[in-house]
Amino acid sequence: MPRYESDVCIIGSGITAAMLALKLSELRPNLSITVVEAGKRLFDTENRMAYRQRSIDYAENAWPGDFIEDQAAQGVISRTMAVGGSALHWGGTCNRFSEEDLRLKSMFGLYTDWPLAWAELEKFYCEAERRLGVSGEPSPFVEDRRSEPYPMAAMAMTHNLIELKKWADQSGIPFQTTPQAKNTEPYDGRAKCIRCNTCAICPTGARYSPDYTFRRLLQRKNFALHDQTLVRKLVIDDGKSTVAAAEAVNYQKPDETVEYRAPVFALTSGYCWSPHLLLLSRSPRFPNGLANSSGLVGRYMCGHAFQSAMIEIDAKIYPGMNEQHGLISRQFFRVKDREKFVRHDLRVWESATGHEPRMRGADGRILLGDGLLADWRQRAQRGTARVRGYYDVHPDRDSSLTLDASAKNRFGDPLPKIEHRLDAATQARRDFTREHFQQLFQNLAKTGNGKVLNTGAGNYLDHPAGGCRMGSDPASSVCDSFGQTHDHENLFVAGSPTLPNAGCTNGTLTFVALTLRSAERLAARFAQG
Amino acid sequence: MRALAVVVLPAELGAAGVDQTAEAFVRWVRGYRAGAEMDHGYGVTRLRAKGSSPAPGYLRQLAELRAALLSADMDSKRQVVTAALEQARINDLPRTPDGRHIAADLMAFYFRSSDANDLCYRAAIGRDLCRGLDGSEQAPAPLKGRA
Repeated sequence: MPRYESDVCIIGSGITAAMLALKLSELRPNLSITVVEAGKRLFDTENRMAYRQRSIDYAENAWPGDFIEDQAAQGVISRTMAVGGSALHWGGTCNRFSEEDLRLKSMFGLYTDWPLAWAELEKFYCEAERRLGVSGEPSPFVEDRRSEPYPMAAMAMTHNLIELKKWADQSGIPFQTTPQAKNTEPYDGRAKCIRCNTCAICPTGARYSPDYTFRRLLQRKNFALHDQTLVRKLVIDDGKSTVAAAEAVNYQKPDETVEYRAPVFALTSGYCWSPHLLLLSRSPRFPNGLANSSGLVGRYMCGHAFQSAMIEIDAKIYPGMNEQHGLISRQFFRVKDREKFVRHDLRVWESATGHEPRMRGADGRILLGDGLLADWRQRAQRGTARVRGYYDVHPDRDSSLTLDASAKNRFGDPLPKIEHRLDAATQARRDFTREHFQQLFQNLAKTGNGKVLNTGAGNYLDHPAGGCRMGSDPASSVCDSFGQTHDHENLFVAGSPTLPNAGCTNGTLTFVALTLRSAERLAARFAQG
Repeated sequence: MRALAVVVLPAELGAAGVDQTAEAFVRWVRGYRAGAEMDHGYGVTRLRAKGSSPAPGYLRQLAELRAALLSADMDSKRQVVTAALEQARINDLPRTPDGRHIAADLMAFYFRSSDANDLCYRAAIGRDLCRGLDGSEQAPAPLKGRA
């Protein structure tokens, strides 16, 4: 059986793994680190422009080969499984949470508090922004004050965004541009954005992607990346509670077990595959899986809900100038009336909705050539704003990831099944929340002589997290605020699974900030030099 | 193919523009890769592959339209194409050519393109181009020769 030994074994290779490995390698240059990833490495940056074009022309996968067909989960939001993870094709949005997200219990009597202070997290937000290369402008709200400026100036607003901001500001709600991990100048060896409008496949590297970090790490002698290798089980030392090894299988040699040994293991496989591996690692000594004495592995799966509207307004919008860049208001991050708790961000993007070419006119007759163009032009006189609010919802204990015995991969391992459930307090707020958004969308529309074209509510939770929530009490949490599991002192969980709740805006920056903090605790276990 | 393009594409493209679009569509058909993985990005969890090449179906449909396209006047050509689209039950412009009917797919190929977006707005938006950030705060320049 092939056996690999290192000082730290990191399982999973998304943005969390990249940041953890990078910071560890800086804090402890002599540390040997092995990253194990089930998917492939897709490092052919020279082909990305071509992949982008095939995606535009043929709707082909811009990241060919970025999945494993039989490694599928019910209830996930992305099938991507490759070195870089979901952050290969993320939009680069880097919003911060706010203090309220960490203090729901103490401020509002709801759900739970995080076991760390806002000021502590804020430090690591700054570091995360430096490492990812975030371009942004400060929030106008004093509660959002920063201890460091953004590392790069905000991306300039396009003509469309200027028009949308004029409209949105008239509503009395202050908006700013959304901070993004996109270069507005050459940064960290990567190019300046050239506005390709396809951030899901950035052909230049202007939008941060973890594969750039991994390629840099691979230049180090004591760093190894084992891709196409699925970790199937963590094994505990005989008579102890520490993790001794990770048992894996390489897809090229599926009949052979590969063993990884290390004094420290870090699980960085995201909200789905991290709790899944812990549950899979059950044994006679640990019949409920590892790190699970609380019974909370795979519990409190979280995310945020959303309400959307398309609002037609009097503005000259040219669809396609930069659909990936938008506005955010953080006004509703704060709640003045505890009895009417609804917290959300508010986002605005350019859109072509309502103004796209169509084949049948209003009378239902088929339009060809000139007729189609004339119909399109007539409808394109006004602009459309895409508006969305991600709102704060809190998970129930039974919001779960479980092993689905009816769905197995080629090795016979049961696959994960995620079923989100909201707690009673969140459910009780449902009608009020919906009314709040309907009123908000109508008010926004009124300001621009606008018309709400349609509204919608998501039927899933976006930016999912949870499954190994952090806490001070081992009875009600899986790990501490550094991700160190209560049950196994050499096993860490990093990033998204550790979040007790998913806030009301994109989570990636928070996952990274928490990971960078974990890296310091993890490094402290090893002597310097 | 050119005769069909004249019917389903806007005259504003000019004869050369219509021909170029028809040629580009032929190149698109030749470049089609049956079985290629399709997009499954964030929020799209179903793995799908491109279907078989639409080329055989297109050839059959073109053959059915051929006589009318080469001999009838423009109104009759439009009626024939419209009838074919009705028969194929095409209710909206496909997001991307999907092989149901060559006329709908040629229209989708063009009208969903960055060039058509520019033509509609009579502005050099360049939606699918990599254009740089500089100057993006200005409204896009008017299309040259198409004020």
